[in-house]
Amino acid sequence: MRQARSRAAIALVGTASLVALAACGSSSSGGNKSGGGGNNAGGNTKTIVWGSTDKPVSYDPAGAYDLPSWNVIYNVYQNLLRLDPTTEKNVPDAAQSCDPSADFKTWTCKLKPGLKFSNGDPLTAADVKFSFDRVIKINDPSGPSSLLAKVKTDAPDATTVVFHLASGNALWDYILSTGAGAIVDSKVFPADKKLADNKIVGSGPYELASYQTNQVAQFKPNPNYGGDLKLNNGGLVIQYYQDENALKLDVEQGKVDVVYPGLSPTADTELKGKSGVNVISGPGGAIRYLVFNTKTMPGGSDAQKRAIRRAVAFLIDRESIAKNVYQGTVQPLYTMVAKGLAGSEDVYKTEFGDTPDKSKAQQELQKAGVKTPVNLQIWWTPSHYGALSSDEYTEIKRQLEASGLFKVDLKSTEWEQYTANCLADKCPVYQLGWFPDYPDTDDYVGQFFGSTSFLNDHYSNAQVDSLLKDEEGTRDQAKRVDDFKKIQEITVADAPVIPYWQGSQIAITHGSVSGIQDTLTPDYIFRFWLLGKS
Amino acid sequence: MTSEFMAPAATTTDAPTVRRGRFAGIRRALAPVREARGLPKWVLYVGLAIVLLFVVFAIFAPWISPYRFDQYLDSHGNRFPKSVVGGHPSAKHWFGTNALSTDVFSHIVYGSRTALEVIAIAVVISMLIGVPLGLFSGYYGGPLDRTLVLVNDAMFAFPSLLLAILIAFLLRGKFSFLGDSFSGIMSAAISITVIYIPQYFRVIRNTVISVREEPYVEAARVLGAKPRTVIAKYVFGNVVQNVPVIATLNAADALLTLAGLGFLGYGVQPTEGAEWGYDLQRALGEASGGVWWTSVYPGLAIVLLVTGLTLVGESLNDLLNPVLRRRQLLPVKITGPELEMANADAVMEERS
Amino acid sequence: MARSSGSLSRYLVTRLLLVIPMVWILLTIVFVLMRVAPGDPVQAALGGRLPQSVIEQKRHELGFDKPLIVQYGHYLGGVLTGNFGHATSQNRSVMDIVTHEGAATLELSVAAMFFALILGLGIGVLIGRFRDSPLDVVGRLFGIITYAAPVFWVGILFQLLFVAKLGVLPSSGQADVLQNIDLQNHAHTHIYVLDAIINGNWDDLRNVLVHLILPGLTLGLLVCGVFIRLVRVNVIQTLKHDYIEAARARGIGETRVVLKHAFRNALVPVVTVVGLQAALLLSGAVLTETTFNWPGIGQALILYLNQRDYAAVQGIVTVFALIVVGVSLVIDIVTALIDPRVRYS
Repeated sequence: MRQARSRAAIALVGTASLVALAACGSSSSGGNKSGGGGNNAGGNTKTIVWGSTDKPVSYDPAGAYDLPSWNVIYNVYQNLLRLDPTTEKNVPDAAQSCDPSADFKTWTCKLKPGLKFSNGDPLTAADVKFSFDRVIKINDPSGPSSLLAKVKTDAPDATTVVFHLASGNALWDYILSTGAGAIVDSKVFPADKKLADNKIVGSGPYELASYQTNQVAQFKPNPNYGGDLKLNNGGLVIQYYQDENALKLDVEQGKVDVVYPGLSPTADTELKGKSGVNVISGPGGAIRYLVFNTKTMPGGSDAQKRAIRRAVAFLIDRESIAKNVYQGTVQPLYTMVAKGLAGSEDVYKTEFGDTPDKSKAQQELQKAGVKTPVNLQIWWTPSHYGALSSDEYTEIKRQLEASGLFKVDLKSTEWEQYTANCLADKCPVYQLGWFPDYPDTDDYVGQFFGSTSFLNDHYSNAQVDSLLKDEEGTRDQAKRVDDFKKIQEITVADAPVIPYWQGSQIAITHGSVSGIQDTLTPDYIFRFWLLGKS
Repeated sequence: MTSEFMAPAATTTDAPTVRRGRFAGIRRALAPVREARGLPKWVLYVGLAIVLLFVVFAIFAPWISPYRFDQYLDSHGNRFPKSVVGGHPSAKHWFGTNALSTDVFSHIVYGSRTALEVIAIAVVISMLIGVPLGLFSGYYGGPLDRTLVLVNDAMFAFPSLLLAILIAFLLRGKFSFLGDSFSGIMSAAISITVIYIPQYFRVIRNTVISVREEPYVEAARVLGAKPRTVIAKYVFGNVVQNVPVIATLNAADALLTLAGLGFLGYGVQPTEGAEWGYDLQRALGEASGGVWWTSVYPGLAIVLLVTGLTLVGESLNDLLNPVLRRRQLLPVKITGPELEMANADAVMEERS
Repeated sequence: MARSSGSLSRYLVTRLLLVIPMVWILLTIVFVLMRVAPGDPVQAALGGRLPQSVIEQKRHELGFDKPLIVQYGHYLGGVLTGNFGHATSQNRSVMDIVTHEGAATLELSVAAMFFALILGLGIGVLIGRFRDSPLDVVGRLFGIITYAAPVFWVGILFQLLFVAKLGVLPSSGQADVLQNIDLQNHAHTHIYVLDAIINGNWDDLRNVLVHLILPGLTLGLLVCGVFIRLVRVNVIQTLKHDYIEAARARGIGETRVVLKHAFRNALVPVVTVVGLQAALLLSGAVLTETTFNWPGIGQALILYLNQRDYAAVQGIVTVFALIVVGVSLVIDIVTALIDPRVRYS
C-alpha cells in the first residue's frame, strides 16, 4: 500500500536521522557546577560525583538505621554533637555544650543561637524535641528508635534541650551524634510519619537539591549553614548503581570520581593495577565472628562444650580466610573489639595462637573426654553478608575437618529466617557480623558479653556484667580501657564467640580526589565536605 | 479442520492404512509424520539431531566432560586459572574457564544434564495435570469449566517469567529434603510447571470443545456410548495430536525460562549443578572487559537446544496440522467414479 | 445495524464484567504468594541487632502479627482505593516506584516495539511472499533464533561487540550522570526522551537515545520473532484468497499484489498481537533491564525481591496484574470492534 509504504519510509528515515544524531554527538564529561553560598574553602567549586551500590533506606532520620542512609543524613542535617574524625571525640555541632548529670540520667544541651535550616526556618530547641519525639512515635521498623530507648525530651526554652533517660548512659553523647539524633525542621516534617525522601530539609553543610530513589541524589552547599565546617567542593552527586560492574566501568572511564564503599574483593583487586584509578583503604569497624549457643551446641557438659569451643578456636586459620576468600581485603581479627578502638587487645592470639594447632585442639577435647570426630552443625546466611559467605564457610569447614577432629555439616537459610532461627536457639553454631552504631568499645563488648546480649547465646558471667556496668557508668577513659581489657581477657578463656576478621574500608577514586583518607575513619562517616577535586 | 468432502471408504493410496490395535488412535494421529516428504522432514531430522546431541551430553556427562562442573583444581592440586587471568580457551580448557575457575566446556556438558532434568520434570508434570484438566473441563463444561477458564486466562495473561520468579523464590530451600543438588532442580521445575499448565489446559480444552461438536462424536453419544468411551476413543485421539507439538515447544520455552531464572539468581545454584543461565549472569560482569568465552558458549548452548526443540515442534506442527500440511502426492491408481472423488479430494488437500 | 450494535454492547458489558473476577483471582494469587514468603519487615530490619524479644514486641506494636484475613481485607481495600502500599526497605510508596521506574520501562518497551515492528513486518512480508524459498528458510530460522537466544545473552553479545570491542555505545544506564541530573531536575513525564524534547535539550536527547539503542534493540529482537512468524502466516493466508488469485489473473504484478493487499491484511492481527506481547515484553524487560542496568520496573521488582521487601513486591506485582488485565481488556474490545465474528461467539 503506497500510503503504508511511505509512512514506513518516513519512520525509517526519522529513526535513521535520530540515530545518526545520537551517534555523532559526544557525551559531555566533567562537570563544573559552582555552588551557591555555603562555607567554601579555597574557592574549590567542583562537584564530586560519588558512585555507590548502596541502597539507602530513608533520608528521613526517623526511618533510617543503616549506613547508606546515615551517610546522607550526616551531611544534610546537623546534630547536637558530632564526631571529630581525627580524635573520634564528640565535639559541638548545633549545640555549644552537652553536659550530663552525675548519674548520667539527665543531659542538658545548650544550642548555638541563630541557627537556620536550609529553607530559612529558624532552628530552635522545639525542633530538637520534635525530632527525638517523632523517632520514638513513628517507631519505624527500619528506624533507630531502639537507640533512643524511651528518652523524654524537654525544651524549656528556645536554646535549651534536656534529655531524661530511663537509665543512666555515659555514652548518650555518642548516640546524639549518630543519625538517630539528626535535627529536622518541625515545620516541614510530619510528627507521625516519615517525610518523602526528596523533600527533606536539614541545617547541615549541604542541602538536598534533587533525589530520584535508586538513581541520582544531588547535594548543593547549604546557603544558610551556620556551622563551622568548611567545604572543599561546590556540591556532591550520588549516582546509585544496581550493578557493580557498571560502576567499575564508570570509575575506570572517569564518569565517577569516587566509589565508596569499595566493590567486591575481585573488582577492587582488578582496579588496583589500572592507571588513573586509586584504591585507598582505611580502618573499618565491621567484624565477622562465629557464635556458639552454649545451650544447644554439642557437648555433654559445660566443660565439654567449653572444650569444643576452644578446640575450634585452636583450629581456625584466619590468614587463609583473609587471603583465599577475601583476597586481603579483610584482616585477621583476634578480639571482639575492632582494632583501632580503645582497649582492643589480641586476646585470642595470646590464648590460642595465630596458626592452627591440631595437637592443642586434640588435647582440649581429650581432657574433657569428648569423642572425636565431633559432629558440628554450622549455620551461615547466603546473601546478607555478601556472596563470599559461601566460600568463607566452605573454607572453615575444610579447616575444621582437615584436623580429623570435626565433622562439619553446613546449613544455610536466608537472612530473615536466619536471624529468627539462630537468635532463638535453633542454631548450635552460627555466623554473624557486626557493625558499630558508634565508635566506642562499649558498642562491641556490651552487645556481645552482657547477660542481656541480643546474641541469646546463654553465656553469662557475673564478673563481666559488673565490669560492663562499671565502664558504662564513667567517662574516665583510662578506667574504661582497663575494664575493656579485663572483659576481653575473661571472655576469651570460655570463647563463647570466636572473631575471625575485621574489614577495611575501601574507597576508589579516579583522578585526583583529595580528602578521602581523612574520611576513611573507624566511625564510617562519609564526610562530603572533606572531598575536593582538582 | 477436515475437508468437507469426506471421501468414503478411503481407498486412495495416500490415505494412511493403519493397523488395528491398542495404539491405533496414536498411530493414526502420527501417521502423517511417516508420510511426510520434502523440507519439513529434513527440518525435523535436524532438530532431532540437535536435541539428541544434548541428550547424549546429559546422560554421558561424566564420561564426556573432562572435569566435574565444580572442579577448580587439577590433578596436581593447582587451581585452574580464572577467566580474567589466563582463562581463555586453551588446550587444557577448550572453552576456557570462568570467574569461579571452573571449566566452561564441563559446564556446557553438565548444564545439559541440569537443563534436561528440569525440562523433563516440568513438561511431564504439566502434561499430567494440564491434559486431564483440559479434557474433563472441555468435555463436561459447566460452572467448574467456567471457573477454570477464568483462572487460566488470568494466569495466562500474566508475564510467565515473573510468575516463575516469584514461585522459584518462594520455593527456595523448601525441597531440601530431597538432597542438596535436587532441591534447586525441583523448585525450578515446579515454578516452570505452574506457568505451563495453563497452556496445555487451554489448547486441550479448545480441541475437546471443537471435537465435541463433530457429528461423529454426537452420533456416538446418541448411540449411548459412555463419556469415558467417547473421550477415550474419539476425543483423545484428536487431542493427543497436539500434545507432542505443545510438549516440544513448551520444552523450548521452559529452557528459556530456566535460563532466565538462573540469570536472575533464582534457578539452580552453582553448588547443585551447572546451569547455563547462571553462567551467563557471572559472565555479564566480564563482558565489558573483553572476556567472551564465558558468555558466548553457554549462550550458544541455549540457542542450539532451544532451536532444536523448536524445529522439532514446528515441523511436527507442520506435519500434523492439516491446515499447513502439504503432502507430497503419490500417483493414484484407481478407476471409475472414485477417480473424480479422489482427485477432488487431493486437490482440496493441496489447496489448503 | 441495531442488532449488531446490540450484540456489541452486550459483548462489551460481558467482557467488562469478566474483568472483576479475573482481577480478584489475580490479586488473591498475589496475596497468597507473598504470604508464603517468610519474614516480616521488623525481623528483616532488626534481626541480628536486637534481642528477639524486642523484635517480637515491635512486631506486635506495628501490627505485623494480625490474622491473615484481616491483612487480606486491608490489601483488597487498599487496591480499591488506589493505595498499593509502601515499600518497607525504602522510603517510597509503590505508586512512586510505578511512576518513575514504570516510565523508564515504558520508554524501553516503546523502543523495543519500534525495532520489533520494523524487523517483524519487513522480514515477515518478505518471506511470506517467498514461501518455501531459501529466503523463507533463512527468515524463519532468524525468527526462531531471535526467540531462542536468551535476551540477556543477546545483550551481552551486543556489549562485547559495541562496548568492549568497538567502544561506541554505553553499556548501561538510561543516561550519563549529568544528563540524569538534568532530566531529573526538569522532569515532566519522567520519560527521558519526551522530557528532553519538551525541554528542548538536544544534548540530553542525544545522550538518552544513545543509551536506548542497545537495550531497545535487544528487547526488540526478542519480540520480533513472534511478529515475523505471525506476519508470515498472515501473508500466506491472505495470498491464498480468491481475490488475490483474481488480481493476479488480471495481470497485476506480484510485488504490487503483495504490498497492496497482503501487507494491509497482515497488519490487522499484528495490531492485536502488539497488545498480547505486553506480557512477553514485561518478562523480557526484567531480563533486559538487569543486563543493561536500565532503571525500570523489572529491575525494581528484582531489587525488592532480593531485599525481601514483600510490601513493595506485592504492590508492584499487583500493578502488573492490573496492567495485564487492562491491556487484554482493551485488546478484546478493539478486536471486537474490528472483527464482528468475535461478538457472536
